[in-house]
Amino acid sequence: MNIQIETSVQATVVRIMGSVDGMTADSLLQQLQAQIAQGSIQLVGDLSGVDYTSSAGLRTLLATVKETRRLGGDFRLAAVQPDVLKVLELSGFTSILRVFGDVDSAVASFGS
Amino acid sequence: MSVQNGVPPDSVKDRRKVAMVIGAGSVKCAAALGMWRVLRREGIEVDLYVGCSGGCLYAAVMSLDYTLEEAEQLTKRLWTREVTARKDLRSLLSMIVPRLVPFAGYFGLVNEEPLNAALRATFGERTFDECVAPLHMVATDLQNGERVVLSSGRIADAVRASVAMPYVWPPARVGDRWLLDGCMTDPLPVDVAIREGADVVLAMGFEAAYPRRIRSASRYAFQVNSIYTNNLLRANYGFHNLAHHDEILLILPDFDRPVGLFDTDRIPEVIKAGERATEAQLPYLERILATPITS
Repeated sequence: MNIQIETSVQATVVRIMGSVDGMTADSLLQQLQAQIAQGSIQLVGDLSGVDYTSSAGLRTLLATVKETRRLGGDFRLAAVQPDVLKVLELSGFTSILRVFGDVDSAVASFGS
Repeated sequence: MSVQNGVPPDSVKDRRKVAMVIGAGSVKCAAALGMWRVLRREGIEVDLYVGCSGGCLYAAVMSLDYTLEEAEQLTKRLWTREVTARKDLRSLLSMIVPRLVPFAGYFGLVNEEPLNAALRATFGERTFDECVAPLHMVATDLQNGERVVLSSGRIADAVRASVAMPYVWPPARVGDRWLLDGCMTDPLPVDVAIREGADVVLAMGFEAAYPRRIRSASRYAFQVNSIYTNNLLRANYGFHNLAHHDEILLILPDFDRPVGLFDTDRIPEVIKAGERATEAQLPYLERILATPITS
């Protein structure tokens, strides 16, 4: 799994590539928490490069959502691949997460 | 491996315990046989089986160690249109003219005898004690709404209870309880596997498809059941993901077109879909099973 981070005025985009699973979830969580610790609480997870997520990955996503919202921000997802979206839907996560078709829409949503 | 808190060495786990959980889904549950085929080919041992509704049928044949071919044939013989062909006239009359035919406390649109006979022909007197790996089936108590986990007794009785779809079949009498379909409380019983000590849970779940048209009372009953079962599946599964200490791998077979309730002629195709879905997760599954449990 690789992570690239781009910061703009409205949000910090975390581009995740690879699988978000038990092997990678801790590393992802640490990097997301580091962003939050630096004050980036408006986060966009670009999941266009994520081909798989397991229960460990879901726990990481939820922990980040809870932490950013607790601080007044949010963690929003963008460009989720169909197989990953299916898992998010079946686990009920799409009812509490905000999911956007592309990164630009997700970033723009923080300004609206 | 270090031993702490007085735990004797032989009780310390040296590998992850693997559970296969097969959710409700009628004929689609045959995809579990595809998962089983892949796991056997790769030498991955399953430590326990859990099933709900149609998934019980496959959990049972796997834990009884039937061959794949036997399992396919058995389920083709069991799950036929004849099983639902006879209506339950007494039940119907008790709804229409309850003064003439007193209501029994429950009803089912379909006569249960063909289903009971098919289950007897499939499983005979075989019991949970004969399973090569622990087997658990989920049903729902009609009186108090509790989820009931069946892990002992006759397998035919437990499957009958777990597939007792409300309004379609009458509940099944098991011990002193009237039991309905497990999909009413736990359509994908990952929590049973967690409670039984599973680390890696291979969860094969199915959302019921919604037909375009509803042409009969029994189809209407199926539709209503599907709505709340699908919603319950999502709610439960979300919680199980958050509650589990290790990994749940959701295995979702992809079908080219919707699989009908009695499309048993499509079982080979359904099994293939289960194989493909499992193979897609195999590299990750092998990696986590190869990772020491303490890391």
